[in-house]
Amino acid sequence: MYSWGGHEARPVYVRMPAFLKDLREALVEQSQYHELLYQMARRDLLLRYKQTVLGFAWAIFTPLVNTIIFSVVFTRVAPIETPVPYPIFAYCGLLVWNFTAASLRFSVNALTANAMLVGKVYFPRELLPLSAILVSLVDLAVGALLLVGLCAYYGVVPSWTLVALPALLIIQIAFTTALALLLSMANLFFRDVKYLFDVVINVWMFATAVVYPADALEGRLRVLLEINPMTPIVESYRAVVLLGDWPPASLGIWALLVFLLLAVATVVFHRAEDRFAESV
Amino acid sequence: MASGSIAFEGVWKKFRRGELHDSLKDLIPSMVRRAFRPAREGELESQEFWALRDVSFEVGPGEALGIIGPNGAGKSTTLKLLTRILKPTLGHCRVQGRAGALIEVAAGFHPDLTGRENVFLQGAILGMRQAEVQKRFDEIVDFAGIEDFIDTPVKRYSSGMNARLGFSIAANLDPEVLIIDEVLSVGDMTFREKCVQRMLQFRRNGVAIVYVSHNLPSVATLCDRALHLNHETRLIGPTADVIESYIASRSPDEATAGGAEIVAVVLTDPDGTRVQQISPGDRLVLHVDYALPPSAEDLAFAMNMVRSGDSLLVHHAIYSMAALGLASPVASGGAVPAGDGRVRVHVEFHMRANVVSGQYHFGCAIIDDRTEHRLHHMHHAASVTVREDRPRLGVADLYVRPRARLGRMGDRPDPGAAVENR
Repeated sequence: MYSWGGHEARPVYVRMPAFLKDLREALVEQSQYHELLYQMARRDLLLRYKQTVLGFAWAIFTPLVNTIIFSVVFTRVAPIETPVPYPIFAYCGLLVWNFTAASLRFSVNALTANAMLVGKVYFPRELLPLSAILVSLVDLAVGALLLVGLCAYYGVVPSWTLVALPALLIIQIAFTTALALLLSMANLFFRDVKYLFDVVINVWMFATAVVYPADALEGRLRVLLEINPMTPIVESYRAVVLLGDWPPASLGIWALLVFLLLAVATVVFHRAEDRFAESV
Repeated sequence: MASGSIAFEGVWKKFRRGELHDSLKDLIPSMVRRAFRPAREGELESQEFWALRDVSFEVGPGEALGIIGPNGAGKSTTLKLLTRILKPTLGHCRVQGRAGALIEVAAGFHPDLTGRENVFLQGAILGMRQAEVQKRFDEIVDFAGIEDFIDTPVKRYSSGMNARLGFSIAANLDPEVLIIDEVLSVGDMTFREKCVQRMLQFRRNGVAIVYVSHNLPSVATLCDRALHLNHETRLIGPTADVIESYIASRSPDEATAGGAEIVAVVLTDPDGTRVQQISPGDRLVLHVDYALPPSAEDLAFAMNMVRSGDSLLVHHAIYSMAALGLASPVASGGAVPAGDGRVRVHVEFHMRANVVSGQYHFGCAIIDDRTEHRLHHMHHAASVTVREDRPRLGVADLYVRPRARLGRMGDRPDPGAAVENR
């Protein structure tokens, strides 16, 4: 039984029970439609495979080319100290960063590109950005294969700390999902967001310790690096995979904040959802 | 047996003319305005209007409600509210049971994917589990009649194939509630006919149906009740009354050329019960309602019967108004003009279906007797299936009753002779 009706007047302050009710409603609905999520992600992967000659090779190509460029810059032009050989250091960072960046790049357009579907058929609209994330996740997996090869080549031996990898991945996915939901929704209502995003994502990459170690920065710029949640995430990946270290304790606080953000994003998205069809 | 139901309870829906605010530049002023004067749902701001005002209806299991009204009367809005794409400003919509919507049947198709891939994608969009789609796959493809093209990208399909596949997926969904928007206009005649049959079958199985169409006779065929909508409920009730109300509300220039129009066509047995299936030789009555200009003279009403499949014309006849005894009362102003100034005429074509088994369609037309122009015509206005235990070939049921005896043609019947001697 479905029932849907007029907007209820909602007070400005957040009422906890209403928040939890909406969160639960959104999650239940998403789980009901998990097959559609799978089909949508499958569609996007199929399309990529069909329309491009290289198919999944592109998942490796992009971080690889970037790695080569940054390797030339940071080993020949302006050498920097890295705990492991620079190419593998950069590739690991770029691979992880690319997952978030690509997810968001697709998500920004996820709702507007499927305007036809949003305006004609009902389904939880979260599925569109979520499927963009799933597709990027497949790219991440493909790109990780090359990382394994690079590890073997540079003689980086995996250690026990790898067991922390799933937790890291979950934190990163949660963070990416929260932003993807907010961005796709924002772009639906204001098309400026897409252009703004293109600028921000470029700046953000260099404001994150992707192609250089966080220690390379000092002073005020270091603060900027620290308040950016992508830095601890990228650094933790490298610690766990390449260095055999455990993630810093501060990551736990970030994880908490990330999940809180995800819950808020889910509810905000869910509440705005029934205005989407009118706005696309 | 399905047991879906639909309820629309005092629904109001507000829209805004023109653009919302598409860029951040417009957002700030509007936010400031909102902060000082919060929007109230029940009030209209400038540029806003009510697409629907206090519309209520209910559709129970096995019921079909037709929604008719002029363009821009809120019919599509109603459908979008029913399919949860939109949310009412005030009031509530309730849908109980698994809902299937035949609106823009191919909306979820991606042009670069093959038919097969799209079936699974569209199935998932309509809320089917993958295993169900797998189970129904052959049926879906078969119903759409595109076996040879199922592994071809959909972008190479003709628009008819596209629509057929889309309809076929939705029609094989096992819905309990069905929301239909003018889909019967897709595909060729044979396919349309299959769709109508499928919908009638759904109705017999207890599916609750809401059907929106401009094709009034098809509404009369499918629905027992109808709603005349024009932003608000004009009339809700028995289909014939509502169609009448709608016809009467239209201005003369909206009506078809010449003002002569076929309004409703219904096929029944002599007792007035709608029929879909009969046996050879059964009696049938084709009821046709016409709206005619008050000056109507020299008009004639044609009806025909065509066999489905080979389009064989089984019967065609024209009856002039004079022959029906209509000319004088209409011309002398004896008939009461309805609200739109046109005269209503009801003709019952009583007949006996002396045909062999098969599916047959009835068509009707209004013909100007002097110029022999067809003023308004309608193929497939109604259809019926003739069933018999042992199907015979040909067209007509000639009431052949064989009687056999031994002997030759000239012989006197001899009850005693058991075997003929040679």
